[in-house]
Amino acid sequence: MRTSRRTFIKNVSSAGVVSIGASAPGFLDRAALAGEGAPALAGSEGKILVLVQLAGGNDGLNTVIPVADPEYGKLRPGVGIASGAALRIDDEHALHPAMAGMKDMFDEGVLSIVQGVGYENPNRSHFRSMDIWNSARLSGELTRDGWLGRALDLHRGSSSGTTPALAIGTGNLPLALVAAKTQVPVIRDIDAFKLQPGVGDRVDRQERRAALDAHIARAAPAGSELEFLRSAAGNAFATAKKLESLTATYKPAADYPDRPLAAKLKSVAQLITADFGTRIFFVSLGGFDTHSQQEGSHRALLDELSGAIAAFHHDLAGHGLGERVLLATYSEFGRRAKENGSLGTDHGTASQMFLAGTAGKGLVGAHPSLTDLDEEGDLKHHTDFRSVYATLLDKWLGFPSAEVLGEQFPLLELV
Amino acid sequence: MLAPYTGTWTRGDAIHLLWRTQSGAGIDEVDRVFSDGLDASVARLVGTRPESEEFIATESVLFQSARSSRSIAALKNWWFYRMLHTANPLAEKMVLFWHNHFATSNQKVRSARNMAGQNQLIRRHALGSFGDLLNGMARDAAMLKWLDSNANRKRQPNENFAREVMELFALGVGNYSEHDIKEAARAFSGWHLRNDEFWFNKNQHDSGTKSVFGVSGEFGGGDILRLCLAHDACPRFLAQKLLAAFVSPHPDNATTEALAASIRAHDFDMGKVMAELLRSQAFFAAGARRTLIKSPAELVLGSYRALGVRAKLPQSVQLMAELGQSLFEPPTVKGWEGGRLWINATSMLQRANFAAELLAGDRYGRVARPVRGTDYTELLLGEAGETRPPGKDPLGHIQFILSTPEYQLL
Repeated sequence: MRTSRRTFIKNVSSAGVVSIGASAPGFLDRAALAGEGAPALAGSEGKILVLVQLAGGNDGLNTVIPVADPEYGKLRPGVGIASGAALRIDDEHALHPAMAGMKDMFDEGVLSIVQGVGYENPNRSHFRSMDIWNSARLSGELTRDGWLGRALDLHRGSSSGTTPALAIGTGNLPLALVAAKTQVPVIRDIDAFKLQPGVGDRVDRQERRAALDAHIARAAPAGSELEFLRSAAGNAFATAKKLESLTATYKPAADYPDRPLAAKLKSVAQLITADFGTRIFFVSLGGFDTHSQQEGSHRALLDELSGAIAAFHHDLAGHGLGERVLLATYSEFGRRAKENGSLGTDHGTASQMFLAGTAGKGLVGAHPSLTDLDEEGDLKHHTDFRSVYATLLDKWLGFPSAEVLGEQFPLLELV
Repeated sequence: MLAPYTGTWTRGDAIHLLWRTQSGAGIDEVDRVFSDGLDASVARLVGTRPESEEFIATESVLFQSARSSRSIAALKNWWFYRMLHTANPLAEKMVLFWHNHFATSNQKVRSARNMAGQNQLIRRHALGSFGDLLNGMARDAAMLKWLDSNANRKRQPNENFAREVMELFALGVGNYSEHDIKEAARAFSGWHLRNDEFWFNKNQHDSGTKSVFGVSGEFGGGDILRLCLAHDACPRFLAQKLLAAFVSPHPDNATTEALAASIRAHDFDMGKVMAELLRSQAFFAAGARRTLIKSPAELVLGSYRALGVRAKLPQSVQLMAELGQSLFEPPTVKGWEGGRLWINATSMLQRANFAAELLAGDRYGRVARPVRGTDYTELLLGEAGETRPPGKDPLGHIQFILSTPEYQLL
């Protein structure tokens, strides 16, 4: 698929222009005009990707359970999930009992489960393997940028004043979004998008805000840092103004559980419904490094994951935005097939990725075999994670994946 | 050599010097630097002043707390306290400059102890010999972990460190070949870490002949560093980085070459180099004023200093991270690229919200009571008059100034 920087610029800038309206700073108009002819002002086709990182190495074998395989019980006499408790999705597979929300999504046809995802010569270090997933580079050199960061750099507009990607609540910028040129913001929560009023009473604040808007709108020498800053500030304050009115009217169309991941995805939903213009969101859920006594902690994590994803999906569907949004989960590795001696599981390899969106494909690919394990006793992958990335880039975001990933990986029937 | 500044010394010059070298100052310090004049002020900035008893006591408590808790968060508090309260703010600013130059992240090193060790190493040489700093870095525990030195073995050389020495630490892209890197990696083989200390692992060192930059010898790692320092590109590379940090995002070639010549002439003594730079025409040129976008550190420290804020450390450190500069955690080995990359819609909002919360709340600490008769526009922007804020409340004035695009420049 041949797309282009132009399409991306159109998508980003049209969202920006629409949302900012009459006060659109000059550079946005220029960015739009850098495309061809008149900018597409309405009906942006901009698809949105929400990436959910499961940090620590999710035990995929207890997440999507091969219930019909007698080998499962042999490998996992202590930590295995009883087949009666697991939530069946077909004759051979079941989801963990805590995943009722995602089970319903599977039944509704809005969930894909890509099985057996991994890469050659898997690394079992958290740091290194997460780097590999986030950079989409297998080589041993120190990684400098992330796969989405490279995509942003290749398709950035003429200014970094817009917000093409956003990480919420991750503390640091996740490597997946590290770019050479594009600075991706990390925000604590959605309140960071509101302009605080500050000193004085209501009249003082309004006067100051008006004076600031007028001040920022003044011309500055072309190409100067001041001109750049005035554009960025104009964009920021206008966007904040829009969010202030829109978020006041935002009503989630689903009940979000009172858990951190749900709160983050709720913020994402809020920004998407506000037509904020951001196309890539990143959130993370940590704690999956379940080396011992994993039952309770893994259950709680999957409960948090499933509840948050289900609420997010139903919220967007309720706003009529389901078709524009795809959520994908990933983790640096799955865990060893055979449980360890402390009712936990050690670092492993292949695992599944969940994709939540309106065009669910159900189970994609076979569950990795429990009898054909690698030399360490780990599951063998059959699908390179970069094929999933390539699919998301080429078929969802519209960024040619070969440039981002260094080669063309086979595309999957996922979107 | 750089041409010295010959203009008439003004208060605007004093404020420019103070914002660029120590991220802002209160009105008393502006008065003092204006009355002392340029030469005396620069001598004071690059010299070493004794720290106050209070500083020594508090700094030591914070450092011990970071050491005993092994907490990177505590170490960040310690460093931020140093930056804000030290009597030697230029030296501390240079520590951050070198942290960015030799960008090492605790995200991989995962040891507050190693990061503290590297930070102290930088501080010893911050305004001293770059050669000593480079040699120290090549044997620093955090750096050895960061660039996988233990993986650099005789029969399987790992090029990570050798590449970054040339690309990012000493020469810059285009001034070496892939062959130079391969050979240099052999010279650094066996530069390992054992028990958190540098260890020359003789068994894993390739002692054969290498050829680097067209010179051959049975080089070890120290020889490679010596060859890098002797390379023409090295002073030019440092000059570019210093100019980008202290003078202008677009320095002209003549200035770069002149500063490079000074660095060579001063034999990489950065105190002497900085003294010359800060007294130069290039530093005070009209075209260089207000052209640098403040880093989060410069924004936060400068605002605190100018407004006399008793800062809350963890909140301030967290704010810096949210603005894109998490201490001890630069995003990549290239560090924070800075400039326009500090700015996007979110960070502009956050900068304005910082102004609002600083002046109207106590999230980050309380500002001192505004001093009657102080021209805050001049103090904060280095120029009088152009930006006249609305309203009567001086705190409202200050909030307005801090929210402007102009204030994001220094």
